[in-house]
Amino acid sequence: MTLATLAPTDAGVRVPGALRFAGHSSPGTGLSWTSMTNDEVTEPATDESTNDESTNPDHEVDVEQETEAERAARFQREAMPLLDQMYSAALRTTRNPTDAEDLVQETYAKAFAAFHQYRPGTNLKAWMYRILTNTYINIYRKKQRQPLESDAAEVEDYQLARAAQHSSTGLRSAEAEALDHLPDSDVKRALASIGEDFRMAVYLADVEGYSYKEIAEIMETPIGTVMSRLHRGRKQLRDLLTDYALERGFINEATVKS
Amino acid sequence: MTEWERQGETDCAQVVLRLFEYVDHEAADEDGRRIREHLDACGSCLREYERDLLLKELVKRACHREAAPETLRSQIMARISTIQVTTHVVREDPR
Repeated sequence: MTLATLAPTDAGVRVPGALRFAGHSSPGTGLSWTSMTNDEVTEPATDESTNDESTNPDHEVDVEQETEAERAARFQREAMPLLDQMYSAALRTTRNPTDAEDLVQETYAKAFAAFHQYRPGTNLKAWMYRILTNTYINIYRKKQRQPLESDAAEVEDYQLARAAQHSSTGLRSAEAEALDHLPDSDVKRALASIGEDFRMAVYLADVEGYSYKEIAEIMETPIGTVMSRLHRGRKQLRDLLTDYALERGFINEATVKS
Repeated sequence: MTEWERQGETDCAQVVLRLFEYVDHEAADEDGRRIREHLDACGSCLREYERDLLLKELVKRACHREAAPETLRSQIMARISTIQVTTHVVREDPR
């Protein structure tokens, strides 16, 4: 982990193009962050990051006038409550606690350095997710060099397969029943086994409840790609979980085939 | 959806293709209405839908929030606090 980025002299650090956000003009980056202002709508009521938008002074801050100490304090107030969520996402993303901690450290370092570019009152959690995703891709994926899946072209294959699959339903509800009894560890194992783009899309949609549009902005891909990743990721998940249910004897081949 | 309107009726293949969008609450109003109507009438599509819904719930259930290690929290906090202390020096410099 490179925490040197947190040194005070780096207050004006250049943020990679992908990490520029609304509030700073960033010609050519395409995606505007301004549209992601409605986090409150999708947040569970228990979420500690949910503040009353109208009364939170941190949402009205004039970033230009703010001292660096004030900004650091605001970052602390706003970003630290998201730590558990960021860590949980990092755990699922990296699949091990050590890498997860490094990823979160790096994410917070970058977010802090770029915090003057975050527009107060917009969706901070999504902003942080974007940095986390971006950081993961830049740092960890390089290590692995997984072949890149060209998912756009594969949507059609998927759709054909799914349509065909539909004709042989039979005892599906027995299978669904069995899946429902799988332990959480099996679901995590399955999630860890699918491609990382699929995994992230599924996580953002199902765990965080983000819309396709928000996921597209976080992952910096077109919405069609998000949909394709979700489709394919879930199909793979479903197949894996069906395998696990078979292994555990919750269902037998006859149930699946029918 | 114009594509559907042209064909006049909603068949299983069309519904199955859009079930994920429906499960994710991303289907447009008209699509959602057609899917809902179809699910009321078609048992196999309904089972498909229930499985998709279940899968989504399984993922959410399995990935409940985990507390970040205290060391991680304190390391990040320490870095931010350092900034708050040292920035005074930085800001006294004429820019």
